[in-house]
Amino acid sequence: MEEITIQSDNKPSDEDFSNISLRLLDLSDVDDFMEWATDSQVAQFCSWDTFTSKEQAMAYIADFIVPHPWFRAICLGDRAIGTISVSQNPGVENSCRGEIGYVLGSKYWGKGIATRAVKMVAADIFLEWPHLEKLEGLVDVDNKGSQRVLEKAGFVREGVLRKYFLQKGRARDMVIFSLFVN
Amino acid sequence: MEDPSSPTTITLRPFRTTDVDDFISWVGDDRVTRWIRWSTITSKEEVLTFIKEVCIPHPWRRSICVDDRSIGFISIFPGSGDDRCKADIGYGLAVKYWGQGITTRAVKMALSQVFKDFPGIIRLQAFADVENKASQRVLEKAGFLKEGHLRKYTYIKGDLKDLFVYSFLSTDTIPHPLDP
Repeated sequence: MEEITIQSDNKPSDEDFSNISLRLLDLSDVDDFMEWATDSQVAQFCSWDTFTSKEQAMAYIADFIVPHPWFRAICLGDRAIGTISVSQNPGVENSCRGEIGYVLGSKYWGKGIATRAVKMVAADIFLEWPHLEKLEGLVDVDNKGSQRVLEKAGFVREGVLRKYFLQKGRARDMVIFSLFVN
Repeated sequence: MEDPSSPTTITLRPFRTTDVDDFISWVGDDRVTRWIRWSTITSKEEVLTFIKEVCIPHPWRRSICVDDRSIGFISIFPGSGDDRCKADIGYGLAVKYWGQGITTRAVKMALSQVFKDFPGIIRLQAFADVENKASQRVLEKAGFLKEGHLRKYTYIKGDLKDLFVYSFLSTDTIPHPLDP
């Protein structure tokens, strides 16, 4: 009897999503970068517009990502499927706060990957940056998915800041979340 | 106690080097500088330098005046770049004028000017120490909305502070300037 093998191409649910790791991103990741950077669903709540060329992506990786104080690729196996970063606010008096930001390819949404990545960062960053007292996250009021990521990762909602963030020319209300060291 | 039928008239104007004696009478008082980033200054020379090099060139800093004499300050700090839709407000007042609603009136006067002076500003924000009840009342009476409690938010003079954050938007209604 003939055995029929059903092929399902590009179906993420066949993959093992527990193999998530963080590592530095570099120019050799540009093709994977383009996967999410050209996706308007992903860019919706980001400050950036979708990327239109590989050259643009490589310039962004070289000029912004590589020199960034703390920037990592979120990887499934060795393939980058998103990014996560921690930024310092300007001024020594604000050195107690780091702002977390993350981006994930849309076909990987809804699987707890971003939550896992945030938890991984939270476990390490306070050791790497002993001056840090808290991680902060600012999320658009309409971005419910990202609010759930931070809530599941143990962040506390501290309030809603009205017209706080200029996102592609529009001032948006942002929920502010915090996670404290220990 | 202020006579509601004739409250003390206050004006706002830029600082002058001739304000130095009045300025030092309140900036030299720890009770005035307690909650803000300013240090207490007791040297006339330092105050004069501060007026000339910081207060006068400032994007928007005004002396709160009674009879054209400085009794305090109010400042607006516009953001730049990605923060250009926002500005911060700060203020301080000589202790002998506390409790009369003067700071609230000064804030309302600033609100009526700031969105015209800085047309790009959509959000004016203020941060008050969680223990500074007087400043919280000023902001509430001036029509600001309390948005949240920011724990361990920033260092002020070396102490890690919890602050309440307030905002007033360009679309919000300014309470009548003479309302207490």
